[in-house]
Amino acid sequence: MSFLKKYWAIAWIAGKSNLAYAGEVGSRMFFLTVILYIFMCLWKTTFANAGATNFAGYTPRDIIWYLAFAECIMMSSPRVTPLIDEDVRTGSIAVQLVRPLSYPLYRLASNFGEQVVKFAVTAVAAFLIALLFAGVPENFVTGFLFALLVLPFAFVLDFLGYLLVGLCAFWFEDTTGLALIYSRLTMIAGGMLLPLELFPEQFQVVLRSLPFAYIVNGPARLFVHPDAEALGMVLVNQIVWIAILGLAAAAVFKKALNRIALNGG
Amino acid sequence: MFDKLKNYLALAAAYVRFNVKSQLEYRTAFISQAVAMFINDCAWLAYFIMLFDRFPIVRGWHAPDVATLWAVTAAGFGIGHCLFGNSLALARIITNGELDTWLLYPRALLPHVVLGRMNASSFGDAVFGYVVYFLIVRPDLPHMVLFTSLTFSVALLFLGFSVLTGSLSFYVGNGESLSEGWRNALIAFSTYPTELFDGKVKLLLFTLIPAAFVSGFPVEALQKMSLLHAAYSLGGALTMVTVAVFVFHHGLKRYESGNMVALRG
Repeated sequence: MSFLKKYWAIAWIAGKSNLAYAGEVGSRMFFLTVILYIFMCLWKTTFANAGATNFAGYTPRDIIWYLAFAECIMMSSPRVTPLIDEDVRTGSIAVQLVRPLSYPLYRLASNFGEQVVKFAVTAVAAFLIALLFAGVPENFVTGFLFALLVLPFAFVLDFLGYLLVGLCAFWFEDTTGLALIYSRLTMIAGGMLLPLELFPEQFQVVLRSLPFAYIVNGPARLFVHPDAEALGMVLVNQIVWIAILGLAAAAVFKKALNRIALNGG
Repeated sequence: MFDKLKNYLALAAAYVRFNVKSQLEYRTAFISQAVAMFINDCAWLAYFIMLFDRFPIVRGWHAPDVATLWAVTAAGFGIGHCLFGNSLALARIITNGELDTWLLYPRALLPHVVLGRMNASSFGDAVFGYVVYFLIVRPDLPHMVLFTSLTFSVALLFLGFSVLTGSLSFYVGNGESLSEGWRNALIAFSTYPTELFDGKVKLLLFTLIPAAFVSGFPVEALQKMSLLHAAYSLGGALTMVTVAVFVFHHGLKRYESGNMVALRG
């Protein structure tokens, strides 16, 4: 239990310190409003042009709420890669390693605390904007509870992806480019801008076999279309992918540690 | 007047040469950032082409139109911020009181500051814009000439916009988040056809978030081969630069030194 206590403290501090940056929160809210407004215009026009009431079961209201929820996940994702990159390049990782805690778990706890706070703040604003643009969603309470069940796993999965990218700093001069590509993959292949159900059939098969679908699409879809069977499917896939990426990250970290050379001083 | 212009062009050329050399000192980082941005833009374009192909978002819009929109926006942003990379960091420079170093230089302050750094990832944007326009739109010579001219006009607008939003730090203290949020809003609106938005928001796209001059008029100019629309775009860009220069110099009177000791190589 005391093992978890120290990581809980790290998560708590990271979450609290994130609340201090009001300017950043304001900027996020402004951008969120712009994005949701653009999506509302885009889908309003698309539904009108197609003369349709829904696409693959998504009504215009469902799409706006889906996008609002998906945006909250993406916007709350902390930038952990530059921190790892800096730890490696400046050598401060050596200081972290002598502490009585695991470096990847320390980063996970800090990342998790920050993301929970960012998500909560962003969600309040996103829900208000979506309410204004699209009205009250169906099954709001059930959908929200279902989404809350899978969100912690989505955060961990997202972190593991970024951790793997960040650990590349042990081999590459700069991981900014890799992090950018990873982030775009999560946005596009994860279904941030378009629910995966609206992609062409052949793409859907491929995208569902990747972890990105269970970071964004899984929780956002459960939020607008809560379904017990889908909930089980998302949870199983998240746990499997967390196991795979977790093992990969552990192996890469172990290999990376062999590359650290410490000089006294 | 002509001598003065020649003098400043020589200064710009000297800065570009210096910045290129400086970037090439960290060749791997420069290439990886530019390549990552190129891949990132390709992913966005593929997604948007799929979206416009699958749904009737704007009647009459096909892959070449979407490619033109992305090409002109990306190339404009890329050229603007590759050459004048510090314009992206202006808010931070002002907030941290880092203008002191630049104030000591001869000639006007603003050109020195904005030319002082090159943004590596913007180079990827610029290359992406030209490659995509050439490969997907397959333009004839007059279209290519007009496209090239428009990318420089859009670059000018982005430069002006970044200077204007960055200069807000003179008035609001730490304006970094505000500047970033505002710029992101411009980019977001610029990557969608202006036809999607109605009256009141269209007014916004001509003023506070001038996306009409970034992608609206340039795309129409290229679709119709209209010099009038190209002139509107250039007019918008020149107005933006004039306003930006005025706001920067007005704000400069409020600047407070950070008493930082800094050296520039």
